[in-house]
Amino acid sequence: MPPTPFTPPAPPETRSRSPFKLAGVFASAVAVALAMTACQPLQALEPAPEREEVTTASLDGKTIVEGGDLVMALSAEPDRLDPTTSSSLYTRYVMQTMCQKLYDIDASGELIPQLATELPEVSEDGLTITIPVRQDAVFADGAEFNAEAVRQTLDRHLNLEGSSRASELGPITSIEATDEYTVEITYETPFAPLTAALADRAGMMLSPQALDAAGENFGDSPVCVGPFKFVDRVPQTSISVERDPLYYDAENVHLDTITYRIITDANIRAANLRSGDVHVADTISPQDIDALIQEDGIGILQVGSLGYQGLTINLGNTDGVGEPVGTIDTPLAQEAAVRMALSMSIDREALVNTVFNSWYQPACSPISPESPFTSELSEACPPFDPEGAVALLEEAGIETPYEIEMQVSNAPDTLRFAQALQAAVSEEGAFSLTIVPVEYSTLLDVQSRGDFEMLQLGWSGRVDPHGNMFNFLSTGGGNNYSGYSVDEVDTLLREAAQATDDDERAELYGQVVEKIQEDNPLIYLYRVRSLTAYTTNIAGVETFADGVVHLSNVAFIENEGAQP
Amino acid sequence: MAATEIAATGTGPDNGPGNGSASAGLGSARGRIWRSLRRNPLGIAGGIMLALVVLAAVLAPVIAPYDPTEVHFDAPFQDPLTVGYLLGTDDLGRDIFSRMLFGMQASLQVGALSVLLAVVVGTPLGLLAGYWKGFDAVISRLTDVTLAFPFLIIAVGLAAISGPSLSNAAIALGIAQIPTMIRVVRGETLRIKESDFVLGARTMDASGLRIMAQHVLPNAASAIIVQATVIMPVAVIGEALLSFLGLGIQPPTPSLGIMLSDAQQYIFRSPTAAIFPGIAIAVICLAFNLFGDALRDALDPTSTSRSRSGKKNRK
Amino acid sequence: MIRYVGTRLWQSALTLILASLVVFIGVRQLPGDPALAMAGEEATPERVEAIREMLGLNESLASQYFTFVGNLLRGDFGESTRTGTPVTELIATTLPVTLWLSAYAIVVAVVVGILFGVIAERFRGRWPEWLANGFALVGLSVPNFWLGILAILYLAVTLGWFPASGYVDVASDPLRGLYYLTLPAIILGTGLAAVIMRQTRASMIETMSTDYVRTARAKGLGRGRVLMRYGLRNSLIVVVTIVGLQLGGLISGAVVTERIFALPGFGKLTLDAVFTRDYPVIQAVVLIITVSYIVINLAVDILYSVVNPKIRVGGAN
Repeated sequence: MPPTPFTPPAPPETRSRSPFKLAGVFASAVAVALAMTACQPLQALEPAPEREEVTTASLDGKTIVEGGDLVMALSAEPDRLDPTTSSSLYTRYVMQTMCQKLYDIDASGELIPQLATELPEVSEDGLTITIPVRQDAVFADGAEFNAEAVRQTLDRHLNLEGSSRASELGPITSIEATDEYTVEITYETPFAPLTAALADRAGMMLSPQALDAAGENFGDSPVCVGPFKFVDRVPQTSISVERDPLYYDAENVHLDTITYRIITDANIRAANLRSGDVHVADTISPQDIDALIQEDGIGILQVGSLGYQGLTINLGNTDGVGEPVGTIDTPLAQEAAVRMALSMSIDREALVNTVFNSWYQPACSPISPESPFTSELSEACPPFDPEGAVALLEEAGIETPYEIEMQVSNAPDTLRFAQALQAAVSEEGAFSLTIVPVEYSTLLDVQSRGDFEMLQLGWSGRVDPHGNMFNFLSTGGGNNYSGYSVDEVDTLLREAAQATDDDERAELYGQVVEKIQEDNPLIYLYRVRSLTAYTTNIAGVETFADGVVHLSNVAFIENEGAQP
Repeated sequence: MAATEIAATGTGPDNGPGNGSASAGLGSARGRIWRSLRRNPLGIAGGIMLALVVLAAVLAPVIAPYDPTEVHFDAPFQDPLTVGYLLGTDDLGRDIFSRMLFGMQASLQVGALSVLLAVVVGTPLGLLAGYWKGFDAVISRLTDVTLAFPFLIIAVGLAAISGPSLSNAAIALGIAQIPTMIRVVRGETLRIKESDFVLGARTMDASGLRIMAQHVLPNAASAIIVQATVIMPVAVIGEALLSFLGLGIQPPTPSLGIMLSDAQQYIFRSPTAAIFPGIAIAVICLAFNLFGDALRDALDPTSTSRSRSGKKNRK
Repeated sequence: MIRYVGTRLWQSALTLILASLVVFIGVRQLPGDPALAMAGEEATPERVEAIREMLGLNESLASQYFTFVGNLLRGDFGESTRTGTPVTELIATTLPVTLWLSAYAIVVAVVVGILFGVIAERFRGRWPEWLANGFALVGLSVPNFWLGILAILYLAVTLGWFPASGYVDVASDPLRGLYYLTLPAIILGTGLAAVIMRQTRASMIETMSTDYVRTARAKGLGRGRVLMRYGLRNSLIVVVTIVGLQLGGLISGAVVTERIFALPGFGKLTLDAVFTRDYPVIQAVVLIITVSYIVINLAVDILYSVVNPKIRVGGAN
């Protein structure tokens, strides 16, 4: 914005003697710009390559240089650094170096113990869960880590006003420290997703000493068990942590400090990586990644997401989410055939390849193929069949093109996808989408109030399928923005949450997906891929299916000239 | 912003009351304006650029080779001068040239709407404030409050509140410009009110409204027009800015600001996509600035007389 | 004089109260719900309700306003709803960035503007004047956010002369800090430089045609000397006024410049707060901008009336 032009007290002399000079300069500048690129034919697209998962830049065979200050570019600013109240995913990036969890997930997406020593032991009736915890761990402030500390933390997750964790932990009736290093959790009804929840923020253990001192303000200076401990936070700018000498596995920690620098612009993250000002950068844009791969000295980690992006269709959310469903009298809301036709007229593969340079994956269900709970049913996809879609609509006696208003967030990436989607579904004349872009905060509001016909939003994904389905698809679910309410699905989801056998659960979730693909309250479209770039003078960076970039084991390495 | 505080009183500092062209016949004034404009080559250049820009925008549906929202999945990121795409294509294979033409149309629409709003609301308030002291206190406080918020804050706030769209962007930008318009008109009114012929009309018992309509408004017209040419480029850039921030015109409707914010996503892959829309904005604003400068010189009799004497001095 | 200052002070206080009301109500007119924005994708009706309760959003508007003003008078701006950081701390870390940036931009604008203004006057009718005039016109016409994007593309990334983004605290490392701010300051200062250049030139031309200058010239003083001694000195007053008056424009410009260069400043804080519906931050930020704006305008007006009692702006007719 140039400052508002100052209206001068009439310059006495503004006569110029060279007519058209400026216009001439401008015209020639344009001409030169045009002439720089000679006339050329259309440039053809390259075919989409296969994408393979790369989750780890291994330290094996590298010469480690102890110490050093690592800088990571974070794509968004974390919210409160308080595992109990945090609701931003980026907070996990920072917290995972400071706050270890009872459980963790490994490269293959399996749950493994971290501060617990074994996977939880579940009683016959599924109501009592016993977790043994580490005996060698100490909080960064010197407080002792034991079963009582675990109890206190879980209690806070459950009962603190404004806790985001309470619903993740399920219907707990009591938490007890049965001995110094054993915790016992009792449930009202069996709750299988607990272990996965304890591998996320709900499993982060907080120092009782710090909790007593800081109370609600714990997030201002969090204290946990972890390889690094909190140093300071400069709002909007950075968060720094330093090596914790009290950490039980301190000898495998190589870095002195880690600074998370907040750089929201994808281009600028890439530029800083190139210049070596940052060593790791998350969420590289599919627009930049191909160029980055070509560069010497930059490595890429890529892993598919557990979440999804999709279209939520309003079936009965008339009074806001959580309220009893009402009736919406449109063919889209009333007739499953219309929604089926919409799903069939979307060429997910082609869309993803065009809009995201084939870096993202098409998706048809809430269960990622990366998840241990994937099954044949959950992998199934409705056919791409635009003619079939038109036929389906005609059969139902619906005039084509059927007009739908789609609200989307006005982030550039989403908008590009929306515009491509709009063009794609209108190709055979089946549908005509009107895109209504709204600001993200407004979209959340619209979604929750049910003030939409169809909207496009995503879900970041949880390790356990329960977290990706129950709240969205069950009657009265806290995120059931569609107002979808089918007894069969409710029953299946409840059974799946209570079943303790993984294969049985996968089977049940598969059945839910099958039903959802008939009813289409949500039309799943694609999954993003977490793209992380790092400079090759470091190693040990890991990123798993939860999308979190792990820096705990990172070390600077001697330059052997060899690229991974 | 407050800059125009000086503009408002601006004609004031060194030209005493009664120095205005007020009593000069309208016909001769028009002739003088034309003569002055014709003698100003930069002004002519601005006028021609302006005509071309307006023509291109109005004729966009005719000139544009493609629908601006037409997606070509097989031809994204084409360079300029590629066969079929004069200025290349963007990430979705949409023709940049076509989008630019329609974007200019949107820019001018927003600009014109916000100028209209500023003039329609600002002029009567400015007249009232300048003519009656009672109104002055109220209106001046209100303009003070509005002026206390920087332009962008008002525009961002209004656009966020009313929801982003072309008309809301225009309204936000227009409202942000109303206070300066009020001040300009108020200043002019204060000046003209003291001139001999208004004093004369007053002694003849003409009503305030009548004096305003017959004497004040016509004589303040030139200042209003000049201010309009000042607002226009500000509004055009403002539209681009709001759209760039996601608070203005919404995709798929093409706008120069949206083209820029899209292009910023893939600027390293295809820098030209970011260059052309920027040039278009600059050309529109340059045209208005050049033309506005010339118009100001032509319309403001004091400046012409001064520059004439200035010329004499130099000889 | 005293009465004039008194009137202006009283008016400013009134403006301020009105402004606080406008901000308070305006913020609550934003569509969307801060509790929802805070809960993010994990929003469930119960959680949103709990957050609303926590933020005091369930109370009546009037009681919220009085709480807000009451806290304000005690110097308490509240806490960011998003990060939980006290707003005063947010302001303390972001304001210096914007102040440094603006100060740097003003310096750039004043130096470049006066230089070009002097050049334009000194070389009237020759090519340097065209160049300076052209610069001013382009400076006024080119959107500076676009200029910023191009500068990053060519000057920072392609040529590598400047860092593409980032901020180093100027107070703790002045050289590097200023280096990082150079490109943003140039971009931000361009528009202002154009305005200053035009005004400098206009004021100089005016000075040069006054009687006393002509007398000085007649006495044999060289044109260059006269220009420096009288022309420049007079134009400085004009420049000071413009800088004061254009500060609001500069703040607007800073918002965008910070966004493009990813500077952790006040402008970025404002935009982020608007987008995340962070009520306490929006309120505090807008009020601070407003207060500084009012104070600066007041100072300029009073200074102006001291310098030239004929032009008392506002309320002194």
